[in-house]
Amino acid sequence: MGPAKATDSKRVVLRRSTRRAILIWAFLAPSLLIFLLYRILPLLWNVVLSFEAWSPLKPAVFIGLDNYQEMLFDDDVFWQALWNTFGIIASAPIGIAIALGLALLVHSHIRGREVYRTIIFVSYPLMTVAVAIIWRWMFDERVGLINYAARSLHLVDKPIPFLNSFTWALPSVIAANIWQMLGFYMVIILSGLQTIPGNLYEAAGIDGANAFHRFVRITVPLLKPSLFLCFVIGMLNSVTSFDLIYVMTGGGPGRATEILITYIYKLGFNQTRFDYAAAVTVTFFILLLGITYLANRLSGGNAGAVERE
Amino acid sequence: MMRQRRTWPIHLTLIAVSAVMLLPFYWVFKTSISGENIFSYPPNVIPRDPNPFYYVDVWYAIPFARYFLNSVIVSTITITANVVLNAMAGYALTQNFRGKGFVLLLFLSCMMIPFQATIIPAYLITGKLGLLDSYLGLSLPLFSTIICIFVYKAAFDAVPRSLIDAARVDGLSQWTIIWRVMLPLARSATATNVILSFIWSWNNFMWPLIVTRTPEMQTLPLGLARFLSYQEDSTGALYAFCIMVLAPGLLLFLMAQKEFVQGLSAGATKG
Repeated sequence: MGPAKATDSKRVVLRRSTRRAILIWAFLAPSLLIFLLYRILPLLWNVVLSFEAWSPLKPAVFIGLDNYQEMLFDDDVFWQALWNTFGIIASAPIGIAIALGLALLVHSHIRGREVYRTIIFVSYPLMTVAVAIIWRWMFDERVGLINYAARSLHLVDKPIPFLNSFTWALPSVIAANIWQMLGFYMVIILSGLQTIPGNLYEAAGIDGANAFHRFVRITVPLLKPSLFLCFVIGMLNSVTSFDLIYVMTGGGPGRATEILITYIYKLGFNQTRFDYAAAVTVTFFILLLGITYLANRLSGGNAGAVERE
Repeated sequence: MMRQRRTWPIHLTLIAVSAVMLLPFYWVFKTSISGENIFSYPPNVIPRDPNPFYYVDVWYAIPFARYFLNSVIVSTITITANVVLNAMAGYALTQNFRGKGFVLLLFLSCMMIPFQATIIPAYLITGKLGLLDSYLGLSLPLFSTIICIFVYKAAFDAVPRSLIDAARVDGLSQWTIIWRVMLPLARSATATNVILSFIWSWNNFMWPLIVTRTPEMQTLPLGLARFLSYQEDSTGALYAFCIMVLAPGLLLFLMAQKEFVQGLSAGATKG
């Protein structure tokens, strides 16, 4: 960098800190652009679209709350989908409870625990479409394994058409969802368990606390952040398990397994009602935020702090 | 400590759970090589007369190679973009700069927006960009993931300050330090990024369903769902297809299980 050259001297004037700032923002820019383009902008667009009457090829007209009014008062399918979504959200704690039990078991000093961990976790990273096909067939009325087992054990007289029954379709889908999420929950809980110092249990043992007390007084409180995380991620995963429902039931029979995300898809891409679908999307999003906030409060309110280090 | 306790009830429980986790796979695999329990009731546990007939059948019934190629291309683009973009953003976040709090807040709030809740505008945006039915359009929304950015950030944070200072004293440029010192030390973060972005793009279903128009652009999950819709439910070919689709993910997982689990829990707790 010879100071004799005019262009170079200009570069020297650019202070080191400024150059650093430029580098940092240049590094952040591509990611920020992606999130702007595919998270922030869609969110805002959804909000705007939900107050409009619009379809491709037609100019948008501001119609105020009409979409929301239709959704809340004239749309039975929306309510059905909303309740089903709640049902799926409510199923997340069941999965987490099972995973907690399993995590405690594989956390103990037994032989082969690595193998068990692998087996329990293996379903999580697999393609949900394929998992849905497998479970669709497990629940099958004529050749499904579950009906075969139930009949062999004389639990039922005639096969249950799980996925074609209004009563059983949603629980069946939920079961498949839990089956796939179980390993994920377990891994998160295990990493939480590893942070609990062992001498805490020893001290409690000396004080005469039995296993149940140790679990309630030590394990659960110290695992709260992990459990909260499981719930939030599990909830997000479950309510967006579009592929599972699309393949297993398509939302049917009737609307028995319709959830908000499948309904939004159908509204948008089967009926080309983008504006109305946007109103449902906004409601869906507010619902998710509300539940996350509630879960955060219930977990003691400090889980977010732990999450942010 | 529970060391003195008898362990057989634990083993019994875990074996039962393992059976529940593995049985579906076994049954599908068995059907894919024998196709028998479709017609026979009660089913046999051990496959009788196993043969690769259904795999060959699938190969000729659908453009498997095409789906596979599409999936590989989309996944490769996604993985490359993720590693580059996330490493850059992760590195930036280890530095102190004005507006860092804002960026962190932005990232954390973006994490709360599930992509599925943005599909309609995302579709319209992709259309405006002219990327519908293209490889770039298929992979663009997954180009950067917040969890993976934080995985890189944590790995870069763990690089000792003194090492970077020493490198600087030696006259290495910022760029060389990142390339020659930080990235090699963050190898496990890179592994996590590769694995997670592979799984996400390989398994992705909803976005390709929306964005692809022509059968030539369909990825494996789409091909599988399509095959399901025009084949009778219970054919061995469908399950052979399932196995063929599951195999790559399964293999990768078994090979890099440690990195996978580590990355997932690190990403989840630090993100």
